Amino acid sequence: MAKLRSPADLEKKREQIVSKRDPSKPCITICSGTGCHALGSDKLHEAIVTEISKNGLRRKVDVRRTGCHGFCERGPVVVIFPDETCYLGMKPADASEVISKTFVEKQLVERLLYKDGSGASVALEGEIPFYKHQTRTVFGNNRLIDPKSIDDYLAVGGYSALAKALLQMSPEQVLEQVKRANLRGRGGGGFPAGVKWETTRNAPGDTKYVIVNADEGDPGAFMDRSLLEGNPHVVLEGLIIGAYAIGSHEGFVYVRQEYPLAVSNLTAALGQARDYGLLGKNILGSGFDFDVTIHRGAGAFVSGESSALMTAIEGMVGEPRPKYVRTAVSGIWERPSNLNNVETWANVPLIINRGADWFTGVGTAGSKGTKIFALVGKVNNTGLVEVPMGMSLRDIIYKIGGGIRSGRRFKAVQTGGPSGGCLPESLLDLHVDFDELTGAGSMMGSGGMIVMDEDTCMVDIARYFTNFLADESCGKCIPCRAGIEQMLEVLERICAGKGEKGDIDLLEEISDVVRDASLCALGQTAPNPVMSTIRYFRDEYVAHIEQKRCPAGVCKALVSYFIDPVKCSACGICLRNCPADAISGGKNLVHIIDQQKCIKCNTCFEICPTRFSAVLRISGEPVPAAPPLGTEVARKKGKQE
Amino acid sequence: MATAKARTTSAEVQGLSGQLPEAVLSRVSDKLGIPPGRLSRMVEVLEQVVQEKGDADSIVEKYKADKSALIQILLEIQRERRWLPKDVLLSVCEKLGVPLSRAYRIATFYKAFSLVPQGRHLVTVCMGTACHIRGSPRLLDKVVKVVNVNPGETSADQKFTLETVNCLGCCALGPVIVVDGEYHSNPSSNELEGLVAACD
Repeated sequence: MAKLRSPADLEKKREQIVSKRDPSKPCITICSGTGCHALGSDKLHEAIVTEISKNGLRRKVDVRRTGCHGFCERGPVVVIFPDETCYLGMKPADASEVISKTFVEKQLVERLLYKDGSGASVALEGEIPFYKHQTRTVFGNNRLIDPKSIDDYLAVGGYSALAKALLQMSPEQVLEQVKRANLRGRGGGGFPAGVKWETTRNAPGDTKYVIVNADEGDPGAFMDRSLLEGNPHVVLEGLIIGAYAIGSHEGFVYVRQEYPLAVSNLTAALGQARDYGLLGKNILGSGFDFDVTIHRGAGAFVSGESSALMTAIEGMVGEPRPKYVRTAVSGIWERPSNLNNVETWANVPLIINRGADWFTGVGTAGSKGTKIFALVGKVNNTGLVEVPMGMSLRDIIYKIGGGIRSGRRFKAVQTGGPSGGCLPESLLDLHVDFDELTGAGSMMGSGGMIVMDEDTCMVDIARYFTNFLADESCGKCIPCRAGIEQMLEVLERICAGKGEKGDIDLLEEISDVVRDASLCALGQTAPNPVMSTIRYFRDEYVAHIEQKRCPAGVCKALVSYFIDPVKCSACGICLRNCPADAISGGKNLVHIIDQQKCIKCNTCFEICPTRFSAVLRISGEPVPAAPPLGTEVARKKGKQE
Repeated sequence: MATAKARTTSAEVQGLSGQLPEAVLSRVSDKLGIPPGRLSRMVEVLEQVVQEKGDADSIVEKYKADKSALIQILLEIQRERRWLPKDVLLSVCEKLGVPLSRAYRIATFYKAFSLVPQGRHLVTVCMGTACHIRGSPRLLDKVVKVVNVNPGETSADQKFTLETVNCLGCCALGPVIVVDGEYHSNPSSNELEGLVAACD
């Protein structure tokens, strides 16, 4: 491959690629993101290719493995172009039917289509409610391109922003565009990227670094992974443009080793970009040199913090340091280093191509553009959603997410990862942007949005996050190391039914200290889950402490299981499935749980057929006395059926 | 002493011929007074040590013996060996010119590393938030029962290592379990038993 030595070369190459492609030629795209991969998209791909050959369609139909489409819940996602028919949850066994119906009989396969609430089928991907209400500007190309093919990225206009920036704009003009766009950091802090770039640009020293933060450690967020896996070139293009504006010639991508597919797709992308002359010396004939190294993280949440991440790139343990001098001025090897998150970098080519005015046309007063959220938990449609800043939580959860699973009641939505907070039903109409979320005691974070229903215990959730943070605290500063540990002790006590009066006040007091005195953002935001749950769900804390009752029935120490002798039909299902052999009973005999043996695993409660619903979960009140062994059931087997 | 002697002898002979012919082995066995079976087992172990040292050396060379690549080098060794043996750590540190304490600190700070041998099959249960509220604690209980290993531990027969992780980024499928790199969404007890039985 000859290197592209000018923007004209790039355009010629693009024309060449596009001219070879016929937009009316059918193309089957199979999502190959991690979610769909886990659901068997590899085998599905094989089956589809085999069926196409069998039907003699190899010259007539293209097959492409694309990046993540976002609707992971219903994967593997298959979209057939040019009609954009979308099949969900397709299995290898369905391949023969789909191929013959689509290309021979020209019909749809009804059963694999999305069904809306009324049971009507939705054939087009864009018409599915999950997608219909989204604005997919950053994430949209994922479904069109094979992440391992730079030509696919060029075909959708890739690297045109880079050519424009390098050849038609000065570094100052690029910087000005990003500043005017008010692009705020998508990694959590929401700090304006343009201002950060300017700081690094103006910092003394000739050697400067730019870094992509792909250490997406927030549990419940995976948009950075999907972008890096699905469209690595857009992140790379943004990074090169940023480097040009800042005056940096060396970049790093810090990516978690838990994301092997992202590492391999990115490695391939870097190689292709070098082959095409989009990385290396004299990029596109502009005289600008730049290259990138990948650094894999070895599994530490705190290493996503900017100063910690930079220490890790130096080959040391990734612990934060006090930032009296910002990393933008003194970062890797004490040189000015500009760090932005994956999604932030992916926004840059859009801003350069379409201009700051276009970008600021979307969003709220203080937060511009779109944001990708990982909508997960107890919603019907889980997956990645991209919406304009300012959409209400209600619209995201109900219009896109399709509401709460199994008709349960909404309780809370947790945003911002372990450093964020839980927002209650009364705040569902909150317009999601950086400032609104912070004002409500939570934060944007990297965009995790975890929906919880009435079966979620908020004290347990606070304990869960605090446990996570205690585990991930690097231990360098005392308020974080000891404070979070103390908070965890109190929360564990409450969940174990040993909560004492005054525990809530104690939690609030420790929270204040940890927030004010910790060294880095991990500690400073660690109290958020506890503070926000106390603020909005105080009654649950009170129930745990005073009545020794867990309203959601989650905290094991506070629940008991009991079989209602009137409802029990002696079907034996619970008895056979009890892992602790705690249930006794026999043919036509009422089953009884031995409270001493019961390990409260919830199995009997889940498994008891709903037509009986004989297993009761009790909290906050004594367990009723069991009938004597050998009591016959009221409804004998077979009578009802 | 016999081992030290054997080490020199086998390495020297190997250096000459590339592999040890039967005749040479039996002569060495006679001279050192070691039964042939034991000698060939010793040679096997030694060959493995040499091989592993060579592997570690080539990883260090791949990163041009750059000190700042220490974490990356350890990650590759961890991936190949499934743990970080002390002799390998010592030799890496020597080559890079960094104190062993730095490697030790890295190995104990990051979750990816292990200073004890890991099982042949790695079972990982995701305990991320989305998985947590969809029941990962219960899934973990089931897994512990089926593989008979506690989280963070390796079975006595070195067959399984069970680990928990804070998020694998496939939250939409939670609760998730990964067996040797293959992801599975919320398997039932029966499916779990099937997954475990499929491991040799």
